Amino acid sequence: MNVVKLIIFAGFLISYSLNGVSRGIGETEITTDDGIEVFQNEKYYLLKKNVIISSDDFKITSDNVKANFEIDLYDITSLETKGNSSINAIKYGINGKGDEILINIKSEEIKVIGKNSLLNLQDTKMSSDGSIKVNNLLGAFELKGANSNLKNDGLDIYGEYISGIFVEIDGKKQLKKLEVEDKNLLKIYTEDLEMSSQKAIYDDETNIFELFTKVKIVKGQEIISGEYGYFDTVKNSYKVKSDETSKVKVTIKNTNE
Amino acid sequence: MNFLLSIDKNKLFIFITCLIVIIIIFFSYNFINNEKSFPILAELPTSKSDIVKPKFSISGQNSEIFITAKNGNFINEEKILLENNVKFKSKEFQLISDNVIFDRKNLIATSKNKSKFSSKNTSIISAGFDITDNGNIINFKGQTVLKIK
Repeated sequence: MNVVKLIIFAGFLISYSLNGVSRGIGETEITTDDGIEVFQNEKYYLLKKNVIISSDDFKITSDNVKANFEIDLYDITSLETKGNSSINAIKYGINGKGDEILINIKSEEIKVIGKNSLLNLQDTKMSSDGSIKVNNLLGAFELKGANSNLKNDGLDIYGEYISGIFVEIDGKKQLKKLEVEDKNLLKIYTEDLEMSSQKAIYDDETNIFELFTKVKIVKGQEIISGEYGYFDTVKNSYKVKSDETSKVKVTIKNTNE
Repeated sequence: MNFLLSIDKNKLFIFITCLIVIIIIFFSYNFINNEKSFPILAELPTSKSDIVKPKFSISGQNSEIFITAKNGNFINEEKILLENNVKFKSKEFQLISDNVIFDRKNLIATSKNKSKFSSKNTSIISAGFDITDNGNIINFKGQTVLKIK
């Protein structure tokens, strides 16, 4: 019995002593391996080597970080991370990683830069070899660069430039507007459809995808190509038109060949 | 008959001798005591510092930084080693460390000892620091922990 009491007491002592050195509730703790350089007049400080920023709402890790402040060190307005950066903001359902992450705290904007950049916003997964930008206040997002990809609600979108607006319905982010561009043809995959073109736009008020230039819609064995097309996501119907210089072309694949 | 003539000369001699011995013992005792209580010059407590409680200041662009310590020793004409409870204090912050080298000519302070920085809602603990550019740049060195409330 005495041994049990001793173990409980020792456990209490250890947890108490650990509390003394760990981060308190509401506090933000920043640790670095190679120091912090404060530029008081310029109002920023550099966090050097193996930086970990942790608070109740988020955790950021990076090789190096620049923190800009307004009044004093505590009043951070933006963060610029460089090298092996990651962010995990559980409260906002955001997590991501990339070479660089720019965070504007006032405007609630996050930008992930670099090859193999990732940014997940709840169930929406975004990736790019260029940059991914999300503004949490406005609900706006923008992906730029090669291999940009957005996956959301059964949609799988590839293009050099993807932008749009999310709206939150019942706590879930849903696409309100979307614009995709790619000179080398963008691709949009739904559950049973594959679309490609140089430009595409979507509006949730009409529930229609409009496709412009070098349009191709593939459904099962059917391939339809033209210069303009649209896909109604509610009726699950589509149509392709030609312009003055070309004609609509329909190809039926023969699977027996 | 005269009183003095009636005193036994032998007894008087013994009395005077005893008195002299007592006086000699008394003065000898006092002399030895004084010798013990009076410190030898080599044993006098001397300050090991060149400067006791040194004070300096760095005039920054926005505010002045006051530097204080318990002791200071000249390394050369320009550099002073500030020791024990070295404080850098301005309107905005306070920085405490031990063993800081202060360059009076270039107004640069350097420490390789554990340093504690505190300002409004902020505390920093580092393995050392440099203060340069008239106090504008503070470089906390080594493993550093910054806490923001």
